[in-house]
Amino acid sequence: MGKILTVRLARLIAALFAVSLLTFLLVEQLPGDPVFALLPPEALHDLATIERIRTELQLDDPVLVRYGRWLTDVVQGDLGKSYITDQPVADAIRDRVPVTLELALLATVFAALIGIPLGALCAYREGKRVDKAATGFTTAALSVPSFLVGIFLIWLFTLKFRWLPSSGWARISTKGVVANLKSAALPALSLAFAPLAINARLVRADMIGTLKENYVLSARAKGLRNRYILFRHALRPSSLTALTVLGLQLGALIGGTVVIETLFALPGLGSRLISAIYQRDVMMIQGITLFVAATYVIVNTLVDLLYLLLDPRIRRQ
Amino acid sequence: MKKSWLKIIAPLFTIALIAAACGGSDSDSGSSSSSKTASSTETEETEATETTEKADEVIESGTEAEGDVDTKVEAVVEKSSYGGNVTIGLEAEATGLRSWEDACSSPCLVIMKSMTDTMVERRADGTYGPWLASFWWANDGYTEWTFELEEGVTFHNGNPFTAQTLVDMFELQKVGAVSAGIISAAKVAEVVAVNDHTVKYILSGAHSAFPAFLYGVGLGGVFDPAAANEDFDGYSMNPIGTGPFMMSSRDLDNETIVVRNPNYWMSDEDGNQLPYLDSVTFRPIPDEGTRLDSLLSGTTNMMQTLRQGTIRDTRDAKEDGADIILLEFQGNNVGGGQYNLNNPPLDDVRVRKGLTQMNNQEAVIEALGGTGISLPGTQWFSPDSPWYSEKAAAAWPKFDFDAGKALIEEYVNDPDRSDGKAVGDKIEVELSCPPDPTLIAAIQVIEQLWSATGMVDVNLTNYDQQTHINYALGAPPDFMGEHGAHCWRWSSNDDPSTFLNTQFAPHTLGVAAAYGLDGIFSPINFFNYFDIEIFGWLVGAIGTDVFEERYALYEMVMMRIARDVPMWYSGHTAMLLATEANIVGVNGWVLPDGSLGAGFPSAVARWGQVFLDN
Repeated sequence: MGKILTVRLARLIAALFAVSLLTFLLVEQLPGDPVFALLPPEALHDLATIERIRTELQLDDPVLVRYGRWLTDVVQGDLGKSYITDQPVADAIRDRVPVTLELALLATVFAALIGIPLGALCAYREGKRVDKAATGFTTAALSVPSFLVGIFLIWLFTLKFRWLPSSGWARISTKGVVANLKSAALPALSLAFAPLAINARLVRADMIGTLKENYVLSARAKGLRNRYILFRHALRPSSLTALTVLGLQLGALIGGTVVIETLFALPGLGSRLISAIYQRDVMMIQGITLFVAATYVIVNTLVDLLYLLLDPRIRRQ
Repeated sequence: MKKSWLKIIAPLFTIALIAAACGGSDSDSGSSSSSKTASSTETEETEATETTEKADEVIESGTEAEGDVDTKVEAVVEKSSYGGNVTIGLEAEATGLRSWEDACSSPCLVIMKSMTDTMVERRADGTYGPWLASFWWANDGYTEWTFELEEGVTFHNGNPFTAQTLVDMFELQKVGAVSAGIISAAKVAEVVAVNDHTVKYILSGAHSAFPAFLYGVGLGGVFDPAAANEDFDGYSMNPIGTGPFMMSSRDLDNETIVVRNPNYWMSDEDGNQLPYLDSVTFRPIPDEGTRLDSLLSGTTNMMQTLRQGTIRDTRDAKEDGADIILLEFQGNNVGGGQYNLNNPPLDDVRVRKGLTQMNNQEAVIEALGGTGISLPGTQWFSPDSPWYSEKAAAAWPKFDFDAGKALIEEYVNDPDRSDGKAVGDKIEVELSCPPDPTLIAAIQVIEQLWSATGMVDVNLTNYDQQTHINYALGAPPDFMGEHGAHCWRWSSNDDPSTFLNTQFAPHTLGVAAAYGLDGIFSPINFFNYFDIEIFGWLVGAIGTDVFEERYALYEMVMMRIARDVPMWYSGHTAMLLATEANIVGVNGWVLPDGSLGAGFPSAVARWGQVFLDN
């Protein structure tokens, strides 16, 4: 186990280095001077101000020098300050991570709670009406973009029924758990549609095979109840694929909430990242990208470790 | 809702609306004719935008704009009441609230105006009136402006507001990212405290409309310099002003809450201390549809939009029975595009005029979603503006496809054509807008028209807004820009000198030197167009405060622009504040002297006199 962790850590560091360097170089290619993004057009005829800001932000240095300086600071825990808001990047990420993380987690939970039992039911009722209806639903869920789902949910739950808010985030610390869940419900549901459909299909495909295994037949012959067989004997070996995918989905959702955060006006990492890109806020882009990349790799590492716990066959290997 | 299913099948707008349209002047600094003497009192109802005798004449002579959408500014008749909160959905977050340092467009101004007072305010008739400055006067040469200050004003932290405050502010403003440029344009050399409540601004050159610069928050927004010096970065999140509200909490990209300032210096006409509301909550909601849905569902009580499509949707919602009030504003800000005269063949007036004459303005406005909302532009002033000129409107090259085509043909067949191509070869024009769906539709209309001549090769390009601006700007030292025909917006309801003088200054140091104007140049002359006569007229206009003289000079500027055609116009920019029906006072607030304020120019609300009519 120690060797596995060491190898994983080394891969994480290499991945983060590659991602951060690539991001830095790509942002550098964006046309235009980042100083101009900080100033209104009316201020641009004051060359002294432009030069002062450029000097303060050390933008005159070569790109690799600036990257090296940034990397040195990162290793010491300093992600720098936003060019636009002057807020420490680490603080900005800290404020936004709970929102994006909660969204991603809730979406993953929705996707698991609905998708896995749905897939199990479809496998159990293979070929029947319920299986066909569910397959149609999952096809539609995969086809419809998440923001379109979001627009529909706003129309239904906000305009029509007035049950849930259409925008904004209620932080637990200031507004309480109930308000928080109400503000998270629609965006999380919007994000969950596609992963839910994927989970359902994966579990269905896996379980159809599993249900034909000899040990399942033995369990039936012993007179065990169908529900017990389904969830105790069949689901566990069929869940490994779904588990892998859930981990991948969670990682992807953390970096993929941009559109939903913008649609629902949520103060998450995604909306801040998109603003930073438009504003040429290099420090914020670097910081958030690094964080998302690190999260993705860590989550996948944890999924791999979970495999070891769940499947004794892999442990023996 | 009638339009609900249409909204469901328009998913691409969700992403596309992240990108803003062309940048332009969203600042809300002052405008109108200048006056040397103190403010005067006016209490009659007036039209929504500036109305002087000149504007009345314009309207009476039959040029009232078809489709004029401005909501009338009217005095409040309801009885005020204390208490309550208003939550407003804004287009974007204010990334910084340091008025001298952080760029602040319309959504940001809505927040900033709740906490920051300015030295002067604008009346409904377009003149400037007292706010923190109770009255002012200038010397004969308009190089020294003396302001008497309101007494008994304190900042949110209890520090007093005195003349010395403005002197200390000036030290920060001199090097402020935003204010340094304004100081340069306003020619402020020094700020002197004459006594505790009298301050003098000393200019390096005459400027008859100087108070206009103290209407905008960039130079005129009053902040506590001691607090700013103590925590320069932190001030951005917690500004200390003299305004009716104080910062309570700031959750970036989510909500900013301001609460009532119990020691606000202003009272209403009955002696009741302002403000009336307990708090105001600002929510950035970038998606236009979500912002409107938030208002209609009660998640918010108010919303601001600068999008014609959303204005149309809001009007539809009201027709469907939504209990909301629409406060619409158009003003001078006009859209269109600029030609880069440094980029052949756009350096030839035949090409520019020809392309402009082939531009069907009505079709473009329709593509932008502005039919019945946006007035066609012919100059930098709207028909309601006292600066509007019928002569300039008549002189502007109107849609005439055949005439435009003839001009292009003349150029194409000219053996000395400036693009160096052979006679008969097509001209090449890059036509660029940010990737907003309506802007793309608009330039596609223009592209079809230009291409239909068979003599124009149009290269359509889209860049995100920052790249779009950077291409027009270019790089130091000359800032020439690489663009061709480039979507843009210009003008505001400020005094014309606050935007025209920098937009038409020499575009390079070399040009400046050639005309003996060493050191006077402007990188935001994106047309790369300089006319020494225009420059002279603009300088002349800040050397007098006689309206008729200034009007004549600005009319000549517009006439010259109509002749040389450095840009084409689409329509004036419509903006909207939509509120629940019980919110009163956004329209109809008054100045300390009792005169009627300018309402909600550029859809920026003033919060000090807003109340809930229960």
